[in-house]
Amino acid sequence: MAGDDLCYAGIGELGRRFRARDVTPVELTTALLRRIEALDPTLHAFVTVTAERALADAKAAEAAIARGDTRPLLGVPVGYKDLYATRGVPTTAGSALLEHWIPDADATCVTRLQDAGCVMLGKLITHEFAWGIQTPGHRFPPARNPWRLDCIPGGSSSGSGAALAAGLCAGALGSDTGGSIRGPASFSGIVGLKPTYGRCSRAGVVTLSWTLDHTGPMARTVEDCAHLLQALAGHDPLDPASSRAPVADYVAPLGRPIRDLAIGVPSRDFFLDGADPEVVAAFEAALAVLRELGAEVRDVAIPHIWDAPSFMVIMASEAFAYHERDLRERPELYGDLLRERLMHGGLYTGAEYVQAMRLRERLRREMLDVLRTVDLLATPTSPRPAPTFTAAYDTSVGFPRSNMPPFNLGGLPALALPCGFSSDGLPISLQLAGRPFDEATVLRGGHAYERATEWHRRIAALGARHGPQDPGARRAPAEA
Amino acid sequence: MEDGMSDVTLDEVRKRAQAAGLVLREDRLEMVRRLLADALAPLRKTDSRALQPVEPAVAFEASGGAADGGR
Repeated sequence: MAGDDLCYAGIGELGRRFRARDVTPVELTTALLRRIEALDPTLHAFVTVTAERALADAKAAEAAIARGDTRPLLGVPVGYKDLYATRGVPTTAGSALLEHWIPDADATCVTRLQDAGCVMLGKLITHEFAWGIQTPGHRFPPARNPWRLDCIPGGSSSGSGAALAAGLCAGALGSDTGGSIRGPASFSGIVGLKPTYGRCSRAGVVTLSWTLDHTGPMARTVEDCAHLLQALAGHDPLDPASSRAPVADYVAPLGRPIRDLAIGVPSRDFFLDGADPEVVAAFEAALAVLRELGAEVRDVAIPHIWDAPSFMVIMASEAFAYHERDLRERPELYGDLLRERLMHGGLYTGAEYVQAMRLRERLRREMLDVLRTVDLLATPTSPRPAPTFTAAYDTSVGFPRSNMPPFNLGGLPALALPCGFSSDGLPISLQLAGRPFDEATVLRGGHAYERATEWHRRIAALGARHGPQDPGARRAPAEA
Repeated sequence: MEDGMSDVTLDEVRKRAQAAGLVLREDRLEMVRRLLADALAPLRKTDSRALQPVEPAVAFEASGGAADGGR
C-alpha cells in the first residue's frame, strides 16, 4: 500500500516507482482518495470527487504499464479546475448559475491529459467564473489555504493551489486571465506556469476574457509543470487563438546550466511598489541565487509599465460581454461579490476599450524590446503573501495591486515558484517570464533556481499533520 | 492629458450605470468607483493623439506573428 510520502512525490518519481512495481497507480489513487476524504472537508479544494472514474483510469494505467508503456504521465493523479468542461461530470465554474451543467465533451486540455494516461481524481473549485471569491452563504464554499486556514489559497484556481499544497493530487489544471494560475501558486507555495497565449488550448474552458485567458499546468515542482505542459501544448483547431508554433522539448533542457542566461529585473518602481519587506528580501535573495548560478542579473526598464492597470478595462469589458444576458436576466444567481465586478465591465465605453487595447499593444512591444536584451524577466509574483478571508471580502480596500497582469497583456509565458516564507509561515513566490513560445527557457531558469533552494520541499501545516514528516519525500530522484 | 481627469466620482459611476441600464447596489458603488478610477487612470493621462500609431489588437498575437509560423 502506498504510504503518505507518495502523496507528495513528483511526477518523475511516480513513473519510476510505477515501472519498478514499487507501487501501483491503483494503490496511489486509493491513498489519495482516502486523503481527500480526510482533508477536503476542511480544505474545500474539490467540488466533485470522481472516485470510480479515478480507479478506472488507474486500472487502465496499470495495464498499460504492465504492457511496457513508459509515457511519463501514465497513472499520475490530477485534478481539473472546475472551469474545464468534463464529459459526463458536472462543471460548475464555481457558480450556482452552472450548478447543474453536465458537459457532453471534454475540454481539449482535459482530453490531452487523459490521453497521456493521467488519472482524473475530480474537479477543483474555482473562484466563481474565475473572478469572484465565494463569500459566506455562496452555493459553494471557498477553498482554504493549507498553510493557514484563515487565509485564501489564491485565485481563481483556488482548489488547484490548495489541493497541490495539501498533497491531494500530483498535478492540476489552472487558468490565468490576470494571474489565476500564478496567484494560487504564489499563495499556496507551489509552482504554476501561464504559457504563451495560444500555446495551450482554451477550447471547452468557460470564458472570462477572450484576449487574456490562458490555460496551463500547476504542480509542486518546475519539472512536473514541464511534464504536464509537454502533454498540453500544441495546436487545437477548436480554439481560434491556438498557435501552430512548434512545440519544444520542455523536459530535456532542465538541469542544464543557466550561465548563458541574462535575467532582467524590470521597472522596480512598479513591480516592488508597496511590496511587503519580507517579499522584497526574499526576491533579492532569489536574485542572488540566480547570480551564483552564473546568470547575469541586471535592471531593465519597461517605459510604460504603469499603463498595465488598464488591463481591467479589457478584462471587465470582455467579461461583461460574455455575461451580460445572465447579469440582466438572473443576477440573483451570481455571487454577492462577483455580480458588481462583472456589471462594472458594462460601464466602460467602446472608445475606452479601444484605447486600452492600444496601450496594451504599446506595452507588449516594449516588453518584447526588453526581451531582445535579456532572456528572462524576474519579479516577485505577488507583492504580499496570502491575505486572510476577512481582508479578501473587504470591498472597501479596492482591487489588490498585482505583478501578474502585464504578462497576460503581453501574452508572455510566466512561471511562479516558491522563493521563501514570511515570518508567519506564508509562502512567497518568484515570477520568471520569457519570450513568446520560449517556455523551455522559462522552465530551465526556474528549475535551476529550484534545484539550488529548498523552499519547494516544505510541506504545508495541514498536509504535514496527515503526511510525511520528512520533506525529502517530496524530492524527485531526478533532482537528487 | 491632465492628471485630474483620472478621478472618477460616485456621480460619474451612477451616470455610467444609468447609461448602461444597470442597477448597482449602493453599498458597492465605492468599490466600482475604485475599479474604474484605477483602470481608467492610464487612459486619461495619455494623449491618444500623440500615441505612436498602434492599432487595437483585434487579432491578438503574443509574438506579433514573428515566432508563430502562421496560425
